[in-house]
Amino acid sequence: MNTLKGTKTSLAFVAKIVHIALEAIVKNRNRSFLTTLGIIIGVAAVIMTISAGEGARLEIEKQIEGLGVNMVMIRAKQEPRGGIVVRVGKPITVKDYEMLQQNAVWINRVSPVVGLGVRVISPWGNKNSFVYGVSDQHFDIMALQVISGEGFTLADVKAAKKVCLIGETIREELFPNLDPIGQEVRINTVPFTIIGLLEEQGQFMGQDQDDMVVAPYTTVVNRLYGDVNFNSMLASAIAEDHVEDAKQETIALLRESHKLLPDEPDDFEVMTQLELMEITGQITGILTILLAAIASISLLVGGIGIMNIMLVSVTERTREIGIRLALGARESDILTQFLIEAVALSAAGGVVGIGLGVLGNFLIYKFTGFFIPTSYTSIVIGFGFSAMIGVGFGYFPARKAARLNPIDALHYE
Amino acid sequence: MAAPNVIEVKKLSRIFRNGDIEVHALKDVDLVIGPGEFVAIMGASGSGKSTLLSILGCLDKPTTGEYFLDGVHVTGLDKNELADVRNQKIGFIFQSYNLLPRTTALENVGLPLVYNRSSLFGNPREIATKALQQVGLGDRLHHKPNQMSGGQQQRVAIARALVNDPAIILADEATGNLDSKASIEIAELFVRLNDAGKTIIMITHEPDIAQYAKRIVTFRDGIIAADQTVAQRTPVHLPTSNKTI
Ligand SMILES: Nc1ncnc2c1ncn2[C@@H]1O[C@H](COP(=O)(O)OP(=O)(O)OP(=O)(O)O)[C@@H](O)[C@H]1O
Ligand SMILES: [Mg+2]
Repeated sequence: MNTLKGTKTSLAFVAKIVHIALEAIVKNRNRSFLTTLGIIIGVAAVIMTISAGEGARLEIEKQIEGLGVNMVMIRAKQEPRGGIVVRVGKPITVKDYEMLQQNAVWINRVSPVVGLGVRVISPWGNKNSFVYGVSDQHFDIMALQVISGEGFTLADVKAAKKVCLIGETIREELFPNLDPIGQEVRINTVPFTIIGLLEEQGQFMGQDQDDMVVAPYTTVVNRLYGDVNFNSMLASAIAEDHVEDAKQETIALLRESHKLLPDEPDDFEVMTQLELMEITGQITGILTILLAAIASISLLVGGIGIMNIMLVSVTERTREIGIRLALGARESDILTQFLIEAVALSAAGGVVGIGLGVLGNFLIYKFTGFFIPTSYTSIVIGFGFSAMIGVGFGYFPARKAARLNPIDALHYE
Repeated sequence: MAAPNVIEVKKLSRIFRNGDIEVHALKDVDLVIGPGEFVAIMGASGSGKSTLLSILGCLDKPTTGEYFLDGVHVTGLDKNELADVRNQKIGFIFQSYNLLPRTTALENVGLPLVYNRSSLFGNPREIATKALQQVGLGDRLHHKPNQMSGGQQQRVAIARALVNDPAIILADEATGNLDSKASIEIAELFVRLNDAGKTIIMITHEPDIAQYAKRIVTFRDGIIAADQTVAQRTPVHLPTSNKTI
């Protein structure tokens, strides 16, 4: 090839190709804009949905942490049977409660929990709600604050007094603009005296935690429940680093109380707050995956949009490639140009998409109060996907065209 | 020693295969074109003219046969070398101009300079401007294709073909889309370029245009049916002031 004047690819030469690529983006404003728009929508959608999933998880974790790190939950073994969850094995009884109270050394507080749906009635209104029968220690285990009036005492529990504490939602509906302390409220048909108002707790996993009444478990069992067994018990370990000890001890004591033989499995469940967090983590993980699936659909839609634009422009671009080849562009020169174009458009779309996603999260926070921290994973996934789509649909058709005989690229229809 | 032939083609064949159908577009064509020649290629539609010119322009490859361009054994080159040959040795002019849309005359003409890997040339803008002035478009540097007439667009394409100072100009029905006045202008431009030393091969269907050339090669069914020297060339008007050369 001694008769050619130059055949080496210099840095200055590559700079010319970069220049050509950027020029092509500007020259084909509409195509560039529409391509970028597809990427922007896809990235913003991915960021917002994945962040929403992670935001929900963080929120739930925060609330579980609020329950107190020392907590141990005990309940009868439940299994799904034909679509509904039913109790299997022995119920949790007063005997179990006393067993823990008297013998456990790693546990300093324990409370039965009897929950049931009731109708709550005052002279100003009535509503369906839940009553929880608990012991006086429940308030400490759950770190539940009484903001006016007071909680009940061990004496109240022993005497099965008809006293109760109500949540803010109940107060609002049944005692509008009134001080409820000392007032009487009927739960189903039984009159109770309100002795305290519980601090506001907000939502927990979609449930209003202020729509409830708390009363001594003795009263609830005797007057409302009609069954002496409990749904569950809550206990707290003496210290954070003895939660696991407390759990093992609880299991041993309940096995004794239930008279289980060594080879029989537990007929109850004991769960620590940490384990609860892991389980809800799995649930919100599924939620995140679901949201990500929705996001992928928006990415796909954005991708199809990009693909459409690329396909429509493929005739024009193949001709352009034919012209460039005819004028002496090497295949690699064409590929470099189209790769730079695709990367530049994807990057621009990705950056704007990230900005839009973060802005969207902020607006959601502004208008609904639901704080969504923008997750890094979502940015990486969104950006990665968009780059793949941009490069995939921009680069590969160009590569196909660049490999043609120049004359075939010129005659492409 | 005499200058090498610009084009030397031996037993060149091109067979197109479409499924079971084979079209022998070129059949063992031998052709030699020396420096400074101005050849018109004529012949009926489908006789293989464009096929030959595409191969000469390294836009297509022959099925069999040998091709030497300006001393280079083209049929032995790889893809990148062919691209460099197209860039530095060939100026190809198409019937449909093939300018990039939304791109100014200056940028279109500068395109072959972009892909030129030799660092021997000077300021690309100056070179492209000079080429456009050569074809009489010094006042249309920043016009885009859709702002120019067909004749003007074809002259941009000619300027683009000239810009890397190629060994040969190949034109496939360069006047095919133009009216007779514009066609004559293009033909006269070719004559002036040839007078200045450029070797030119042009395909044309118009006998009038062919009469501007020095030699006429006639194709029939993929073979050269006639190869004559033009006895009575059409004389060219004196160049006007803005059409230098
Ligand atoms: N890509 C192709 N695939 C199949 N056959 C082709 C292809 N290109 C050309 N041919 C065939 O090769 C033969 C020669 O075609 P070519 O284009 O060289 O003719 P031409 O002399 O340039 O005709 P015209 O004057 O109409 O341009 C024709 O029969 C044509 O159908
Ligand atoms: Mg033809």
